[in-house]
Amino acid sequence: MNRTVMLIGAVVAVPIVTVLAVSFDRDPHEIRTPMVGRPAPSFTLRDASTDGAVALAASRGKPVVINFWATWCAPCVREHAALVAAARALGSDVQFIGVVYQDSQEQVRAFLDQRGRAYPMVLDEDARTAIAYGVYGVPETFFVDRTGAIAAKHTGALTADALTRNLRVAAQ
Amino acid sequence: MIPLIGRLLILGALGAAVTGSIVGFASMKAPYGARVVWARRCALAFALLMTAANLVMVEALVTPDFSVQYVTLVESRSLPLWVQIVSLWSSLEGSILFWGMVLGLYIAGGTLTMARRHREYAPAAIGVWLACGAFFAFLIAGPAQPFGTVASPPLDGPGPNPLLQNHILMAIHPPFLYLGYVGMTIPFGIASAALLRGTLDRDVLRPLRMWLLIPWTFQTVAIVLGGWWAYEVLGWGGYWSWDPVENASFLPWLTATSALHSLVVTDRKGTLKGWTATLVMSTFLLTILGTFMTRSGVFNSVHSFTQSAIGPAILSFLAVSLIWTVAMLGARIDRLESRRDVGPAASLEGAFLVNNLLFVLFTLTVLVGTVFPLIVEAMTDRQITVGRPYFDAMGVPIGMALLFLLGIGPALPWGRTTSRELRNTLAPPLIGAAVFSVVAWMLQVRNPWTIVTIAFGGYAAQVTLGQLWRLRQGRRRVGAFVVHAGVVIVVIAVAVSNTMQVSRELRLRRGETADIGPYTLTFLGARVVTEVNRESIVADIGVDRAGSRVGALAPRMNFYPASQEPIGTPAVRTTMGADLYVSILNIGEMGQEITVHALINPMVAWIWVATLIMAIGGVVSMLPSRRVATELGQSVGAPDLQVGGVPSTGPELAGPGLRPLGERSPEREAGERA
Repeated sequence: MNRTVMLIGAVVAVPIVTVLAVSFDRDPHEIRTPMVGRPAPSFTLRDASTDGAVALAASRGKPVVINFWATWCAPCVREHAALVAAARALGSDVQFIGVVYQDSQEQVRAFLDQRGRAYPMVLDEDARTAIAYGVYGVPETFFVDRTGAIAAKHTGALTADALTRNLRVAAQ
Repeated sequence: MIPLIGRLLILGALGAAVTGSIVGFASMKAPYGARVVWARRCALAFALLMTAANLVMVEALVTPDFSVQYVTLVESRSLPLWVQIVSLWSSLEGSILFWGMVLGLYIAGGTLTMARRHREYAPAAIGVWLACGAFFAFLIAGPAQPFGTVASPPLDGPGPNPLLQNHILMAIHPPFLYLGYVGMTIPFGIASAALLRGTLDRDVLRPLRMWLLIPWTFQTVAIVLGGWWAYEVLGWGGYWSWDPVENASFLPWLTATSALHSLVVTDRKGTLKGWTATLVMSTFLLTILGTFMTRSGVFNSVHSFTQSAIGPAILSFLAVSLIWTVAMLGARIDRLESRRDVGPAASLEGAFLVNNLLFVLFTLTVLVGTVFPLIVEAMTDRQITVGRPYFDAMGVPIGMALLFLLGIGPALPWGRTTSRELRNTLAPPLIGAAVFSVVAWMLQVRNPWTIVTIAFGGYAAQVTLGQLWRLRQGRRRVGAFVVHAGVVIVVIAVAVSNTMQVSRELRLRRGETADIGPYTLTFLGARVVTEVNRESIVADIGVDRAGSRVGALAPRMNFYPASQEPIGTPAVRTTMGADLYVSILNIGEMGQEITVHALINPMVAWIWVATLIMAIGGVVSMLPSRRVATELGQSVGAPDLQVGGVPSTGPELAGPGLRPLGERSPEREAGERA
């Protein structure tokens, strides 16, 4: 019996198996954000359709949905219909803002002409807003509550269900 | 009908494995008794039944018979025949079924070699192999059952994951990887049998080395094929990204390579027996860890199968194998060693020892880097990523040290030497180092690390070629040095392709041109191509060099019915000097404008060629040496008992075109979001 070998074996093996075992419920695709609970970084950006300025601060007092997207991103194209439908249904109770990520104004305009628009889409030209929100890839959607704090975040294409669920959190 | 036959075959295989394993262990005390024959028969029956089950599944896939559950998941009528066949391993259940067949064939091979000449070891080895076989048969029969029945068969299915349909390399890379991974079960069984018996005779080193070398060669090729596939399909311009699953395939390769080297010392000096056994068994454990990483859904990777029920089963198997290994080594390792002195530092055995320590260090480095994010998340609930900077910072120096040793080591003699002898053997290859460095400088290499790597490579090249010249006879050592020659080329190619890459993002309207390196690219236009299983947009790009057209590139975006994301295929113009690599990032304005990622990747083709050289070296090492007869009669001092193996600085050291941490390529992002 070689105790050293046993000891080294146990020291190497036990932690690996334990860590792997406790990691089962982990979703490797989920990227958590430290932004939840913090104030949403403010921005004033140019609307892609009207060229007017859109400020986040103007929507203080009601829940805001900030959706980072681009026309070249297929999941963004997929979730567009759900966002437009929700924005139309909720009217002025909730403010939706689309932040265009690394894309051109012409592309965005053509896209919205074709697929419909229901809320302002602003151009984040130097991606400063995306950086402020810690956007890792598009689409990512932030749900801001009445006080201006980020209440929830969704990564990937939104569905009507996911929208409702997160909005409920933001509306509390 | 097919589901029933399939399930019966798998149950038969499970029965054969369980019976054979029990009979094997039970007849350990009487290796020449009559019962052993039944263990052997069970091993062969297991192989036969697993193969039959695979053939039944292939039949169901090719028909296609949509009453079989697995077929409905991965098959589509509109697929080319080769895709229909490779669907066998394109999804979780099928890949485990395929694993079962490979394991069966290996066990049959192992049984046949051990049964004749190494009968004392055979019963326990068969017991261990079939215990592994029983586990995989259980997986196939239960949690990963591919032969489930579908009550109302659909008319057509979705086809396999489009990434897998996208390139013919997908037909080759997974089988090679399985042949590498699964084969490590055989040396594990032999080492377990040696520990159970309490001796590791010199005689049994031969099958041990043989059965280590076969999967090692497959693994070497598989790792590089994976890199090649990533390079040709994923479109980010590199071939290695330290993805957890890439690491998973690299880890057992490192320990197997280390074991092949330590086997030389065991064979030659009769020392390091326990160490060799430890490395062999660790290699097996790492293959199981790798299997867990790919199939548990815990790690994020381009390879990940979807989350599944077999994760806990594989983890339990890993835990049992770990306990078995630690218990066996702890209980018996002292019985294996007869001598403890390892030899002087400045000797061949000293070099082997340092080589082994470096390999183990490399293994631990990669293992820690791969598992560390999980540890941090489990303990602090914070998410972190360990990426390329860590692996490069740790791996490059270790890789360079191994390359240095690859030059110095074989130049050293066994045993004690005088400093004068040392000078005489170690000084001449400095010429090779100088020549390589000067040539590199003349070819505009300026990165100091790359120049040092090339200098080490030159030193190693001279030593290797010198040894090959001296050893034209004995095949085994020749094989080993052919592998070394391949490694030298791979390491230099990896260093150069990483540090001297040119990368540009180009936006071209139709008819516009742009320069990259010595080439001028012209966007000629885009067209739509319709094939059986996909529709593609192909961009035609003219390539000019020094004012004259040298070729055309046609990178494409492919649209598969099963996938909403397009999947790109880059176009590569390969020359031995450098590849011109173009992948489409975006096609806009109805094909009137494209954005492409264009790269000049120097020396990448050398990696593929050098891997072929390494594989040839591996095969040469496997061939029976012409000197076997004399060797057996010789005393411990025979000149040609070296084992083919190779320090590890494969293509894994790095890959060009990798983006900095946190920045992702659109292709991967699309994959992750899908």
